[in-house]
Amino acid sequence: MSAATDASEPIAPPRPGILSRLMREPGAAISLILVVLLVGAAVFAPLLAPTDPYDNDLALSMAPPGSDGLLLGADAQGRDMITRLLYGLRVSLMMGFAAVAIGGGIGALLGFLAAFYRRWLDGPIMRLVDIMLSFPAILVGLAIAAIFGPGIFSVVLALSVATVPLMARIVRGSAMVVMRLDFIEAARATGMSDARLIWRHLAPNCLSAIFVFATLRFGQVILLGSALSFLGLGAQPPVPELGAMASEGRNFLFFAPHIAVVPCVVIFIVVLAFNVLGDALRDALDPRLRV
Amino acid sequence: MLRHALHRLVLAVPVMFGVLLIGFLLMQVVPTDPATVRAGPSATPDVIAEIRADLGLDEPLYVQFSLYVWRLMHGDLGASIINNVPVSQELGATIGPTLELMFASLFWSIPLGILLGTLAGYWRGTLIDRFIMALSVGGVSVPVFFLGLVLIWFVGFQWQWLPFTGRGGPLWTMDGIRSIILPAVTLGGVFVGPVARMTRTAVLDVLSADHVRTARAKGLTETLVVRRHALRNAMVPVITLIGLQIGFLLGGAVVTETVFSWPGVGRLAVGAILSSDFPMAQGTIIVLSMGFIVVNLIVDVLYAALDPRVRAA
Repeated sequence: MSAATDASEPIAPPRPGILSRLMREPGAAISLILVVLLVGAAVFAPLLAPTDPYDNDLALSMAPPGSDGLLLGADAQGRDMITRLLYGLRVSLMMGFAAVAIGGGIGALLGFLAAFYRRWLDGPIMRLVDIMLSFPAILVGLAIAAIFGPGIFSVVLALSVATVPLMARIVRGSAMVVMRLDFIEAARATGMSDARLIWRHLAPNCLSAIFVFATLRFGQVILLGSALSFLGLGAQPPVPELGAMASEGRNFLFFAPHIAVVPCVVIFIVVLAFNVLGDALRDALDPRLRV
Repeated sequence: MLRHALHRLVLAVPVMFGVLLIGFLLMQVVPTDPATVRAGPSATPDVIAEIRADLGLDEPLYVQFSLYVWRLMHGDLGASIINNVPVSQELGATIGPTLELMFASLFWSIPLGILLGTLAGYWRGTLIDRFIMALSVGGVSVPVFFLGLVLIWFVGFQWQWLPFTGRGGPLWTMDGIRSIILPAVTLGGVFVGPVARMTRTAVLDVLSADHVRTARAKGLTETLVVRRHALRNAMVPVITLIGLQIGFLLGGAVVTETVFSWPGVGRLAVGAILSSDFPMAQGTIIVLSMGFIVVNLIVDVLYAALDPRVRAA
């Protein structure tokens, strides 16, 4: 039956021209290339890094960039900065990815449920979201670090918790619009289960909103996570993590500024790339989300 | 209006309860037993048991919770397990500097952000707009500590213009003003971008409104149209959005205080967590959360007072 197959198609599939439209905007193109390069560098860090991130040579302590064949110098323990940066990027991006995936996943599910069971779940879920939004991310981070102790686990948990209400709001708004469309009613009439209806018809039509927000959120999460690590509440030395590296470098700021500055610059580039890309994606995919 | 305020107040009650509960649970999961700590290393089990009964630690949890809330209401937040100083005393000494830093940051960043946002919105699509928006995206992408370290290195260390550690004194003294400049520039620096962005959006909205067209049609000068008719109306969403960004400001403040050794609540909280000083960590987190909730409540009510359309919603 052609009506049934039509109903199972998302009404607004991501148009094939998204990538080419993105590449036309210089800012978006550069940020997309940067994101691909950064993620690639993080994924292939073990192959790209010249040495081991924990290998130290005290003779090279605080070697400035360019000396002894070390392009970006060495840190206070005499560890190669490039290696540390590649691994640091890996750890930072993984923390961010985990937080957005976990927090965003739970948030999206809450958003779907609120929109789908509007009559009896919307109220309670949105109250919960309001309550969660009453805590700024930094307080969530402090409280979780106090309870579970500083560490990567605490940071990922805190960033996930802080992401849940934001994603839930975005997805609920997007799903509410979809729920009013005729094809949902049509699919329901075919006797589909609720779970299947949400998964097959509601979720695909909210994907662009989820994707745009996840990209923007990724930048914020990286920034927040690095701040928590900088404070000493996240990744603990000697684990290479960009915020923790900046914090270590802070002690040697006046002797070897590159130790602190280089990881800071990398964090800035990562966050900037994701922010610009997120903005461009929003404009291309879903102009309604423009704030 | 009153209904809206009441509604927000009712919503704040479970939130505050949640804060207290989290604070209470924090003390339950920590590995140290307050009675053992208070009794000292040479105490016999009998003495410890006596102190336990004294502190109410042998009561069921819900009794302990009420006891804890009761003490909290009377300003008793316990004492540091490191130096035995009452938590309330430490908080009293650090709240002032934190508020000082926040105000000093907002004092310059909000006007600058509003100015930049208005210029960008008015000259939408021009090079000015693009430049200001690029600046704004850069501003929200830069780590606060990066900005702080760069300022310390150049202004404090290389040029030796300004001090960069600690608080020099109250704001009415020269030392006080000199020492707050770098932290305030750092914290305000990450706030200009969001304010400019929000102002631009609000100004764009208002500029296309009917009443602005009317103002233009009756021959008002452009400056008057923007200042009196556009900006004034754009201020309502901007003020609320600034209120909503207080959490962001708080996060920046914690980092800024750490970078500049500014003696504020944020630095106290981080120090307490790092040294496992649980009563101090608990007290600082509760006070920061409560302060944040109250500020949000005020902003919410203020918003309704400024914009009649919100009250109906």
